[in-house]
Amino acid sequence: MPIVKINGVEIEVPAGTNMIDAAAKAGFDIPHYCYHPHLSIAGNCRMCTCEIEAGGRGLEIACNMQARDGLAIRTDSPQVKAVRRNVMEFLLKNHPLDCPICDQSGECRLQDYYMEHGQYESRLADPKVGKHKRMDIGDHLVLDAERCIACSRCVRFGDEVTGTGELRLFNRTDHTEIGIFPGERISHAYQGNLADICPVGAITSKDFRFEKRVWYLDETDSVCTGCATGCNIRVCHQQGQVFRYMPRRNDAVNKSWMCDHGRLGWQDIASLRRVLRARIDGKQAELSEGIRAAAAALRGVDASSVAFVLGTRATNEANWALWKVARANLPQAGVYWCQGNDPGAWSQVDDLLMDADKNPNRAGARALADHDAAIGDGTDLAHAVREGKVRMLVVLHDDVLGRLEDAAEGVAVLHLGSQRNTTADKARIVLPATHPTEQDGTFTNRAGRVQRIRRALPAAGDALPDWQLVELLGAALGKGPGARDAATAFKLLAGEVKAFAGMTYKDLGGGGLPLRQPEPLPSPPPAQPAAP
Amino acid sequence: MDVPKPRILTARWGIPGSHTLAVAQEHGAYTALRKALTMAPADITAVVKASGLRGRGGAGFPTGTKWTFVPPEEKRGGKPVYLVCNADESEPGTFKDRYCIWNDPHMLIEGCVIAARAIGAKVAYIYLRGEFKYVKDRLDQALAEARAAGLVGKNILGSGVDVDVWTHQGAGAYICGEETALLSSLEGERGQPKLKPPFPAVEGAWRSPTIVNNVETLQAVTWIVEHGADAYKAIGTEKAPGTKLFCCSGNIRKPGVYELPLGYPMMELLNDECGGLLPGRSLKAVIPGGSSVPIMTPAEVARATMDYESINEVSGSYLGSGGFIVMDDRTDLVDALANLLRFYAHESCGQCTPCREGCGWMYSILTRLRDGEATEADIRVLRDLANNIHSRTICFFGASAAMPVQSFLKKFPEEFFARAGVGVPDDWRPAASAK
Repeated sequence: MPIVKINGVEIEVPAGTNMIDAAAKAGFDIPHYCYHPHLSIAGNCRMCTCEIEAGGRGLEIACNMQARDGLAIRTDSPQVKAVRRNVMEFLLKNHPLDCPICDQSGECRLQDYYMEHGQYESRLADPKVGKHKRMDIGDHLVLDAERCIACSRCVRFGDEVTGTGELRLFNRTDHTEIGIFPGERISHAYQGNLADICPVGAITSKDFRFEKRVWYLDETDSVCTGCATGCNIRVCHQQGQVFRYMPRRNDAVNKSWMCDHGRLGWQDIASLRRVLRARIDGKQAELSEGIRAAAAALRGVDASSVAFVLGTRATNEANWALWKVARANLPQAGVYWCQGNDPGAWSQVDDLLMDADKNPNRAGARALADHDAAIGDGTDLAHAVREGKVRMLVVLHDDVLGRLEDAAEGVAVLHLGSQRNTTADKARIVLPATHPTEQDGTFTNRAGRVQRIRRALPAAGDALPDWQLVELLGAALGKGPGARDAATAFKLLAGEVKAFAGMTYKDLGGGGLPLRQPEPLPSPPPAQPAAP
Repeated sequence: MDVPKPRILTARWGIPGSHTLAVAQEHGAYTALRKALTMAPADITAVVKASGLRGRGGAGFPTGTKWTFVPPEEKRGGKPVYLVCNADESEPGTFKDRYCIWNDPHMLIEGCVIAARAIGAKVAYIYLRGEFKYVKDRLDQALAEARAAGLVGKNILGSGVDVDVWTHQGAGAYICGEETALLSSLEGERGQPKLKPPFPAVEGAWRSPTIVNNVETLQAVTWIVEHGADAYKAIGTEKAPGTKLFCCSGNIRKPGVYELPLGYPMMELLNDECGGLLPGRSLKAVIPGGSSVPIMTPAEVARATMDYESINEVSGSYLGSGGFIVMDDRTDLVDALANLLRFYAHESCGQCTPCREGCGWMYSILTRLRDGEATEADIRVLRDLANNIHSRTICFFGASAAMPVQSFLKKFPEEFFARAGVGVPDDWRPAASAK
């Protein structure tokens, strides 16, 4: 691997590493607009210009410079600083400077770099060039061409990521204007990414437009629960309210992207379908009453007629806890996981990110089933129910009755979940669980990567984290798994289940870890053409 | 001046019907091709390299050396090699290539086939400027004749060599004369320059090795192959052998295209070939190599000869494409520069920040200055903008727009400051740099 020198600091990086990335690794931030790690190199903004000390000469753009032995650059020389100042002056020449009404304000690279590298003194005595404003270019996007700096990131995203190519630069010189072909509209399912990658306020999100000044937002790292892909996200929230999800870079999962369906997933947090209170026989109850009633119900039936169903929407911690509670308190009871219906339906919806499996933790439930051969799958459960062997079902989140349909007529259900569904509506006892943004835990994505979700919001209503509800239910039955918090639950799980062996929350870090014995889901059929 | 003025490129110009195959062949066309078909490709390259021929598009890079940059066959990964002839000629003040094709299309076709054989290309594209429809029509006719005569296409003259030549008409953008923008346009994309490296010789048209040569260069190749490297080196200067076409325009009596050996005294070009200035006028300035190169003062003109080295040593300017623009004492240089910048502000492709925003800005300051509405501070901003554009863009366009501004302001500051109602400030001259 070549060794390069940045501002005198030597660093070894893989051959071909871009010098912006190499500098970042050495701890130096090279300002840039057009460069994006997951798009091709355009080299047009000129902001990343650096001075070559050795292995070349003069000023060159870092984005188009690849690490090679003997290359030494400076990112902070007087000449480099002058270039940045000049580039900023050119970029702002025709920019409307409408920051007070611009959504990008606060996370705008023009603002950030101006503070750091700007000239602070206007020399502009000529009129600005006017361009199109407030163009409706897609269901989720608004375009303001005057704010655009023509970095072409959005053009390259359309050409290289979605392959839809709707956006283009039109005209030339200072009349160069980002736009869309007449009569076209961006209709793909990855529109939000265009607002994300726009380094300025040219492309903004309709869903976030004028909703909140970004500097008021707190950010919590988490994982999207919209499907089995498990895109890494940042939950942006203020005072208990989520304003947006943003993708968080994870090259092993979602690069820098996420789909619009997942991006708007926060809208279910406060939806009318949330379960906020315990319910016994259709009547609202205190949570403690609900738990006592659930324990009493379980004690009141023949243990061998009870089926515990691990959830594909439940955290690994909750599934593990449910399995422990079943084994410790009702050893004759059956434990199942809902494998789903048709493996064909597991194929991706497109070849980018969206998976047809809309459950975030099927692979985690399966990993437990692989650990304990006595855990049956969805087919086993359906058989047992049809044969009348099951009189009581304990369900975590999943819509088990929806799948079993009429076969489960007359079976009593205890439902622990955050969202209403057929199962929750028909359940004898319902216990409210938190939304993934309201608790800590882990999910295992379709590729078997264990990733953390983190609590961003206070729990709504009486809801408790799913693992904690199970813990309390176990305690009421006589023996809980003994976890004080999610981290302990995970540690106990990791100590017991080989696939998670030795993992801790700390090890999982921001990017997660693959299961020790990867149990990937059946591989999808050959990639379909991108569904725009 | 009493130097020989061999007609290499213009030999058939003026002969009635010189654009037809019959007349051209009667006057020696395709003799070089017949010779080249008997030579090994590497030998053709060697002759061109030995001749010292330098690219006539403006940069003056040695042609034979450029050809050797094509990777050897085993390193091409099965990709074809392309030859592209740059006939986009759009530089203000440059108008030679259109006459080359108009008067002698067969010399270009012959040069394309020879060069293609040398670099191993089976296809050559001639990219013509959008406005050259009439030129393209004549070239297409000539191509049809050559193809019918077996001089272009499969198995040329029974030699087993295949080279097909196609013409492609651009849409009239100046930037498409920049070789990578030309290739983008040829591929059907927006005509924008591409990042280098990779250079076209390694990764050009359709990501395949591509050599881009100017019309005049390829025509010179035919003569060199026919007459040999030594005959070519006997003409011109040591570092710049051969003849060059000079496009003379402006305040002169006989504007036109003149073929002269490189190293010809600039003053003699002006006074003899161009017939001198109009009666009663005196020389104010010359732009020697097309609108992009720095302007020269009369004192510099007097000392310079028409070759790459002399012009640069004497004045910091360039021979460029050979667009020799003469301005006499009536010329208002503020107006002239504003006019030049109107062109650059219109033609910048809009890709790189400094050029995209800067060219329009410079033009807008110049229009204010022209109209007497600018101040001394504006002139300083103008110079800064030019310095901040030069060399800070993907292609050479930025420098091309900056150099006129830098040089006009350095060499003729009085006219500019007078327009702002002030004298030249004391601190102006030492700091001004025309790169």
